Formats: sequence, structure tokens, C-alpha cells
Amino acid sequence: MLDKLQAAVSFGEKQGADFVEARYEDMTLRTLRRVNETWKDIIQKSRTGIGVTCYFDGTAGYSFTASEERKDIEDAVKRAYRMAKAASTAALLKLDFDERPPVKSKPTDTYSVKIHPKTKDIDYKMDLVNRAVGAARDAGKEIQTIIGAYGELYGQKIFTNSEGSNIDWSFLVVDLPCRVTSKTNTGELVFASHRMAGSFGLEKFKQKDSTPEDIGKATGDSAAEQTTAKACPIGKFTALTDNDLTGVLAHESFGHLSEGDFVVIGVSPLAGKIGEKLGTEQATIVDGGIPDITKNGGLWLPYDDQGIPASMTTVLDKGILRHYLQNRGTAKKLEQEPTSNCRAVHFGFLPIPRMTNTYFTPGDLTEEEALEQLGTGVYAIQTAGGQVEGDGSFLFKADRGYWVENGEIQYPIREVALSGNILQLLTQVEGATKDLSLKGTYFGGCGKAGQYPLPAGLGGPKLLIKGVTFGGKA
Amino acid sequence: MEYEIIKDNLLAEIDTGLKFAKSLDKMAEFEIYLSYRSNSDVVIKQGVVEATDGTTAGTAVRVAKDQRVSFASSSGITPDRIKRTLQEAVASLNATSEKDTRFQGFCEPKPPGREGKFTPAILDLSTDDLVKYSLQIIGDISKVNGRMMAVSACEVSWGGFAIGNTRGLERASSSTFNYASAYAMAIDGNERRASEEEFISREKAIDVSGMGEKAAKRALSLLGAKKLNQTTTLPTLWSPDAAASYVLASFGQSAIGNAIVEGLSPLAPKLGNPIAEKQFTLIDNGQDPQGIGTESVDAEGYPQGRTTLVHQGVLKNFLFDSYYGAIAGNPSTGNSGRAGGPFGGTIPYEEAPKITIKNLEVVPGSKTEEELIASVDGQGLLITDPPIGIFHSDVSTGDFSVVANAVFMIENGEKKTPLEPLSIAGSFYKGLEQLRGVGNDVEMTSFFVKAPSLLIDGFSVTG
Repeated sequence: MLDKLQAAVSFGEKQGADFVEARYEDMTLRTLRRVNETWKDIIQKSRTGIGVTCYFDGTAGYSFTASEERKDIEDAVKRAYRMAKAASTAALLKLDFDERPPVKSKPTDTYSVKIHPKTKDIDYKMDLVNRAVGAARDAGKEIQTIIGAYGELYGQKIFTNSEGSNIDWSFLVVDLPCRVTSKTNTGELVFASHRMAGSFGLEKFKQKDSTPEDIGKATGDSAAEQTTAKACPIGKFTALTDNDLTGVLAHESFGHLSEGDFVVIGVSPLAGKIGEKLGTEQATIVDGGIPDITKNGGLWLPYDDQGIPASMTTVLDKGILRHYLQNRGTAKKLEQEPTSNCRAVHFGFLPIPRMTNTYFTPGDLTEEEALEQLGTGVYAIQTAGGQVEGDGSFLFKADRGYWVENGEIQYPIREVALSGNILQLLTQVEGATKDLSLKGTYFGGCGKAGQYPLPAGLGGPKLLIKGVTFGGKA
Repeated sequence: MEYEIIKDNLLAEIDTGLKFAKSLDKMAEFEIYLSYRSNSDVVIKQGVVEATDGTTAGTAVRVAKDQRVSFASSSGITPDRIKRTLQEAVASLNATSEKDTRFQGFCEPKPPGREGKFTPAILDLSTDDLVKYSLQIIGDISKVNGRMMAVSACEVSWGGFAIGNTRGLERASSSTFNYASAYAMAIDGNERRASEEEFISREKAIDVSGMGEKAAKRALSLLGAKKLNQTTTLPTLWSPDAAASYVLASFGQSAIGNAIVEGLSPLAPKLGNPIAEKQFTLIDNGQDPQGIGTESVDAEGYPQGRTTLVHQGVLKNFLFDSYYGAIAGNPSTGNSGRAGGPFGGTIPYEEAPKITIKNLEVVPGSKTEEELIASVDGQGLLITDPPIGIFHSDVSTGDFSVVANAVFMIENGEKKTPLEPLSIAGSFYKGLEQLRGVGNDVEMTSFFVKAPSLLIDGFSVTG
């Protein structure tokens, strides 16, 4: 395949392109999803194809093909070149980049696991789901629906470009989520969910606290607790956000604003603020594709889709903005280094600045100390999603939580919305716990510019933030 | 592949594929879905241009035997990829003993419905045209105010799909659409206010005139926002775009047959009962000639139809495909879908069929926006863009909590100053019971929803 990609690069250069990138992906996705007693999804997907970016006069054009035939690849190169040339006539802001030495990958770049999902059949994976669902049923109360699922995405990625880079590695993410919906005695439906997700082998599900039974039991217990939960009081309170919710805050509200494509055009409120103090000493945010997965979990991404080797980028350093998440063009324009953040959902999409693993770094508090420091407020746990606007305003739903008074948990609370503006929020971060926990997602994932779902690494410590607006319920 | 021959080419591949399928397992039922879609799009963001031109083509296969069902998909529609997908689906099927005891077979053949409107003018749009229109939008925004941030996008999409199964069904449908958007952000000190204007059509080639100007003026009008400074309950007037997001976020999840059958939707026990004020009528029209979601058949080959969901406030129907229809004792309503919308995936062949809306329509009322504003006693809010978080609500409760960024104060029947972002919370279902007015200002939105302004009482607001 590398020779076909190299031929595509040469063909694009002959057409007149200044620079060409060609990549091949051969990915396998599997989704198993069970709703109550019924298997709703037994799905296998193959994504095999080639993507080509041609650059002309500082402007990119992109095309792709699922075919491996030479004429189809050449047709894709021609379309990419034609788009780049047409676009360059309209581009006022050109994103050239400097030549770099070619990159060669090593076999050790692929994260090694003991039990790769491709070595196990479907029944093995269905059993994981069944065990989680069974444990959830045993632990739950007044259960309406149990959804258990298993997802895997793995496969080879090959990349080359006009510099002669030669990158060949394999991606892997595994996800086992469980969700229970229960009915309260007044007929309302409440829910809870837990998951184990990231770049790991199936041996993970044999480890303490990570078994399907552990995931199912936690879900059933949380949903049972929700049947007695109260509505969260409305107003501004100090919040302790759990590891998952902290991760979504870092990703959705801050991470997207730090993406170089938003910054370079001045749309991000972080544009032009390098070196400025935006948050408290306790607010440090990093992004990178090579976290300590064995210790903290997360997603393994040693290269991005522009062939840049991964590093760990400190974006916000004790409250001070240091770096953006870059592709090659935005990095040059913003006078920084590429950060290995140029990613595409698959070969059908142009790679654009995206996050890898984005998280607040841990602090020195235990959970007890954090609750004590919280005093009176909300311990907000997990989230099914959030959204932000270009100015940094955001809205997240915590799935559940606890009302806390004088450092003591008082009662469980229902789903509740948190809203505010991230730039304001960063000035209200008062501390973080010691425990760092990251997850890499197969289900869900990140959406941007029509590219969804991109596996992303989410998580962090628990974060103590004062003055958070809780929307409550009507 | 040319547009005119897509259906014939795909059907020929389906025919060959089904013959191969039968050679794999004579006792199994097979379904093959092929999709071929060409998309060209140009986006200009503050002078940076992103341009993509490619064809998304792929194969989806379902195999069923003894009530076991599996799904496989592959990128590509070559005979080799179709065969490989069939083999992978059979391998998945054979690897499991798990049964779906409710599965009763793939879709039976029925006469197809009609395709939507088509114009060759959309196919004639070139890459250079898309660049030209995108530049025009940017120029129009700059004319209103040179300091605004501007983003424009133009897209042309054409293609088709074919579906066949071993029950003798072989159908195909093709469609085109084009889309343009103008996004303008007004900046004043730390204040940033954005607004977006969209064009979407399957029957007219892109017309961007006035879009940039309208988005720019609306964004400017949002500057100088004041704080609401209270937590209270107020009537809210949702403009067509915002109302469309409301209707889709609620009915797009809760009127769907699987949510009904699985007991996830609170609408399930309310069939035949009033759930909204009398002035509310909602239809899903998969045969609207102008609808972007209109095809002759749905994603499993059943003819697309027209279903009245709510008639004068009374819940009349839910949306079904053949699988959930059979469980619920209803015929399919032709609502099997594979991708698209906020609750669908992005690549049709990668999705197993599920129930989706086709084209939702809220039947308009008689009042203009001004008359609806004038009907508000005391204070109220005008929400002019879809609020953020609207699609993150939970179907099982209908509770939502959103942040409205484009919102104006209504006082004593008049539109007043813009307000800083504020949160609005309530229940979709209670909102329908407290509907105070339906506008006559229907707009087609990119959500596949046609909606007029909706005036709703009783939501709590904080800001």
C-alpha cells in the first residue's frame, strides 16, 4: 500500500500541487448493543480507503476514495488538486508550512496489549455485555431499561507525504458502557451509566474494579440511588465535578477554543492571549496522544493524520495560556510548533485540528478534603454531553450528583444543567484531587465540522470550582 | 458515476450481490443496501478556505436466520467489497447464538412512493460556483460591518441508494440538494454575538442573496445585551429556527416507534389523548415534494408516507419501520432511516436501519411574529436561534435545560433589548400543553423540519 500512496503523492506533485499528503486506513469497527433482553445491534464495519490532501499556494483541497485502483486514486488526487486550486483564488489567509525532516515510525509505536480484540470472537464480547447487564439487574431497583454495549475500533494507518515520511501503526479503542433507566414511585424516569473505555486489550476486563460485573453493579447502584434523588437546587454554588465531568469541561468548553483553526481566524476568545493569565494557579490543562495509559487510561495516538509525532502539550500552565492545538499550517501562522492534533474521523474527511487526550492535571486533594473545602454546594457526577458556543459559553448536564452541606453529603440529586462561560470558570478553579482517570471513547466521541464521532480521550481529576450556575428543573 | 444512471447501476449490483448471498446460505434471509453520494463543499472562515470533493460509497448487509440478525458494512460498492461484506455479516451471524425473538423478517415489497423534486441546475454547479457564492456571502457580511467575523459554506450533494432483499424487494431512489450558510459574529469589546442564516433546497440552485446581510444585521442587533437578573417563569416565543429545534428534540426522539415499544417515551400511553393545545398539528411527510428527506422508499425499501402525529392537539400516531411496527401491531409508516439529523449518523451505509423522521411539519397558525409578540402580557422572551443543549435532553423525561444565546426581551407586547445568554428549563411535553400561539411564518430549516414561531408559557428562566 505504501507504494500506491507514494505514487499518489508523486502524481499530485506532477499535477502542480506544492505539497501532497496521502494516507490509507483499514479500520474495523464492531458494535454490540443489547437493550433489555434483545440484541439490538450486532454490527461490524470495515472502513478501507485512501485520503489525499493537495496543497496549492497555502490552501488545502481534499478528496478520497474507497477504491484501491490506480485510476480511482489518481481521480481523487485530481479532485483534491482542483479543489485546492479553486480555493486558493478565494483564500485571503494562506496557511503555508515549513518543510520538516521525514518521519519514520517504529513497530513499538503501536500500543501493545495482551488480548487484542481481533483475537476473540463475538460470543466472548457478548458475554462481557451480558455479565455487565446481569450485574446491573441484580443491583438496580424499579428497572425499566438496561442497555449494555461493547464497541471496538482498531486497524492500520499508513501515511506518507512530499517529505518522504513513512508512518505505519495500528489504532485501538475498546468501550464497554452500561446504562440503567429506573422508574421512581411517582412515575418519573431516572437513569445512570458507567463505562470502561480506552486503548486497552480485553485483559482489562479481568482487572480489579474493571470487570463487567463492576461496571454493571456501579450502574445498577447509581440508578437505584437516583430513584430517591431530589431535584438540584437552582442557583450559584461551589461545585466538585467528578473525573468524567471535569474531562468534558476541559474538552468541550476549553479544548475546542484552543484548536488552532479557531484561533488562527480570530474566532476563538483565546486568540492573541498567549502568555496571559486566564485562570487560577490550580488550572493546568494538557493535551497529548501519549499519556501514561497503563496508569491513568486514555487514548493512544502516537501520530496525527498529518504525520506529526505526538507530544504532551501544556495548553494552560497554572492559569497562563501557553500553547494552542495545531496543525502544520496554523502552527506556522501562529508562530508555534505543530502539536500532532490534526485528525480526521476517517479517510473520507479532511484532517483538522482536534483534541487527543485533554485534561486538567491532578492536584493534591483527597476526595474527602475536596468535599470539606467545597463546604456547601454540589458534587456533580458524569455527563451525557455538553455544548459550547464560540464565545466560551457552555451548558453541560451532570447525570447526577449529591447536595453537600458543610463538607458532608446530604442527599442524591437528579440530572442537572451547569452553565456559564469557561473563561470565567477558569478563574474560579480552586483545587483538584490527586486521582487522574482518563477514558478513550468508542461510543459518543467528539463532533466538529460534520466529523463525528472521533474517539477522544476525556477525564481528569475531580475539580473544585466556585460560583457555578446550576439550572435545575422547571 | 453520472446522476442519471446511479439507480440502475446500484440495482444491478444488488441483483448480483443477492445471487452471491444465496450461495453463501440458502436458509438465511439477506438484505443489501448500497449508497453512492457525491459531495462538494467549500467553507470560508475568516479568509481560510477548506474545500472537499469526494464520493462516499458503501455497502451495508443484514443477514437473518432463526431470529438471529447481524449487520456488516464496508466502504466501497465494488463486487469484491459487496461479497466481503456479505461474508463478514454471515461470519458475525454464525458466531452468535443470541436471538432477537421479535425479528419477523425483512421488508416485504410494496409499490414505491414518489421521489421528491429535482432540478438539473443543482448538478450543474461547479467548484468555482461554490467558491463564488461563498465569497459573495462573506462580501455581504463585510458590507454591513467590516469588523465582523464571517463564515460561509456552500455544498452540493447528489446521489442515490438501492436496497434489495431475498423477499424479492429491489428498489432505488435518488436525490439532490444544495445548501448554503452565512454565519456572522459581531464583536464589541468582550461582547460577541453571532447569528446564522441558512439556505437549503432540492428544487432550486443555491441563492445566497440577502443571506449575509440578514445574518450580519441580526448579530449586530444582539450587541448591547443586558442581564435578565432574575430567576422566574416567563412566556417564550421561539422563532421558526428555534421552534424547529424544539419540535425535533422532542418528537424526533419521543414519537419514534422504538422509544414507544421500549417504554422510553412518555408519549407511549397517551395515544388518542390530547397532549398539546388545539392549535398544534404536527405531520411527518416523507412525500413532501420539497422535503430534503423525501425519497420514493425508506432505508429498508418501504414506500415513504405521510403520518399525522398530532392533530389539533391530539396524539394520533407514532413513526414505525417494519420491525417495530410488527411488534406494536402497526404497519410501517415508511420511516426507516440510516443517517442524517442530530440523532443519526453521518454515513448512511454504516448505519443499520432505525426509525427516523423524514420531514416534520408544524401546521402554521394565523398570527404574524409581531402579533405573537403583541399578545405577550408583561414580560416575555424572544428566542431567535436554536438554543444550545436542545438536543441533549433526555427522551425519557422530556426535561430540557438549554442556554439561549440569541434572545430579546419582550415587554408589554413589544420587542425590546437583547439579553445576555440565559438558561431556560422545562419539559417539552408540559410546554406543548402551555402553547399560547402558533405563527404563520413557516420556514424550511436544515433540521428537516418546517416550523413557524411558537409561543409557549411556563418555562423557568435564569440569567
